[in-house]
Amino acid sequence: MERNVCVVAGGMSKWGVRDGSQRDFFQEAAKACYDDSPQLNPKEIDGLLVASAYTERTSYQTHLAPMVAEYAGIKPKNICARVELLCASGSSAIILAFGLIKSGQADVVMVAGGEKLYTPQRWEVFYSELASVDHDWDGTQGLGLPPPVFAMVAKQHMKQYGTVKEHLATISVKNRRNSAKNPKAQFQTPVTMEEVMSGRMIVAPLTLYDCCPITDGAAAVVLAIEEKAKDMTDKPLVYLRGTGQASVNNMSANMPDWTTWEALKIAANQAYSKAKVTPKDINVAMTHDCFTISEIIEMEDLGFCNKGEGGPFVGAGQNDFGGLIPTNTDGGLLGCGHPFGGTGIRQAMEVMKQLRGDAIQQVPNATVGLTHNLSGFIAAHTVLIYGREVA
Amino acid sequence: MSIPGISVLDGKYMVTMDLFPQESKEFNQIHLFYEFLKEGRFTTTKCKDCGVEAFPPRILCPDCYSTNMEWIDWPTTGTVIDVTEEVVGVPLGFGKPPLVHALVDLEGKKTFFVRIINCKEGELKSGDKVRLAVFDVEPVPQEMGREVVLIPRVFYAFEPMK
Repeated sequence: MERNVCVVAGGMSKWGVRDGSQRDFFQEAAKACYDDSPQLNPKEIDGLLVASAYTERTSYQTHLAPMVAEYAGIKPKNICARVELLCASGSSAIILAFGLIKSGQADVVMVAGGEKLYTPQRWEVFYSELASVDHDWDGTQGLGLPPPVFAMVAKQHMKQYGTVKEHLATISVKNRRNSAKNPKAQFQTPVTMEEVMSGRMIVAPLTLYDCCPITDGAAAVVLAIEEKAKDMTDKPLVYLRGTGQASVNNMSANMPDWTTWEALKIAANQAYSKAKVTPKDINVAMTHDCFTISEIIEMEDLGFCNKGEGGPFVGAGQNDFGGLIPTNTDGGLLGCGHPFGGTGIRQAMEVMKQLRGDAIQQVPNATVGLTHNLSGFIAAHTVLIYGREVA
Repeated sequence: MSIPGISVLDGKYMVTMDLFPQESKEFNQIHLFYEFLKEGRFTTTKCKDCGVEAFPPRILCPDCYSTNMEWIDWPTTGTVIDVTEEVVGVPLGFGKPPLVHALVDLEGKKTFFVRIINCKEGELKSGDKVRLAVFDVEPVPQEMGREVVLIPRVFYAFEPMK
């Protein structure tokens, strides 16, 4: 008999520049996740995967999963380990939990992810981020912090396809408007087109509001086999339908193309194929808007619009409420912030709520949703597709 | 005045806080790259079995999986495709803003996204020529038996050809 996998509960700590430690945020996320579904008994959780990229670096803590298990009050018996793929750590852990449940290695798995990135002196996180790329070859060129990378992507996209700064700004305005309605998001205020267009220069053409911030926080979801999921929530069941994750290069010198992300197209095709859907079937998407230009290219390479038309597509509001594919309805990375290990889990949580029908800003009648992360020097892409029905 | 830190670390070198790679033969099997760099050469490894020239240099051919590699010289000059200038958020160790990067076509071998040094804000443009620039970086205090020996190091960026 097919073992179908559902996401039954999700919650997150408040994200932002937070008072507290990594272990504090994991407890807050676990509590929010338990509160999301009172029918869920945490004692029934038989597996835990923890997603965190900088735990050794900014919290000086390895062997993280048993610590999170202890603090979250769960005693896993099938799996208890950490998963790391920088910005896609959370989504990677969900893919692995899906595989473990599907194969019968576990029945109910919590996936928790988060980071404490700010340290008592702020220079440290920027310095540590030189490990985010190939440290010996790209980090040594000062590329650990990605703004120059995405500035170059934006310049090339503008040159090749005529994308303009106003298109980038549309993304900031949309995602900050959405985050202002999400009490857990880092940014609680919207920004106007004028504010974004006159933002402080970071790396031309990217200004302040084109870049997601550094963020502390955590998130958690629980995945369960369908038979048990039915008793763990009184809300509609949301199924994980299909996934894809691809990498075709790591070091910058081996990027096949700066404006068409080949690994994203591969990961998306895998996910669409396994989920038995096409881009037209997706009702709501959470894509990796680490920078505004990213969301534009993601619209193209996920197949929501033609190559090169991402600028006009977002300019016409096609990835906003009422458009073809409402995207980052909870504020995305630009609005919620980006504690690396937490992001994929935050996305899963928002898609779960959209498909259940209880999102803060609901897309009417959403039945199929997608999440996407990129990670490193645009070196890996991760796509997951969820639905109200099994694939 | 130095900022007080953790007293137990006074004078201690920490590899986790080191910006640059370990370049000595004890810690790196492609240490010859850095030895050649000291001579002003930009090199990589070529597979003697299938002919693939991969970068970064390595000990395993990513195409035919042979370990039969040789060192070859690559060009030390290239042409700028486009430029970025980071004015906010430059990490420690990379000087005062702007931190300039360029996408550089290394005479058809690879397209490198590299740091440009000895370059003023607004100076570099698409189509300009750049060349390899090798500079000294801080040596590593490495334990050799009971001794601690300073291992000299270099690294590279590119610079405008005036």
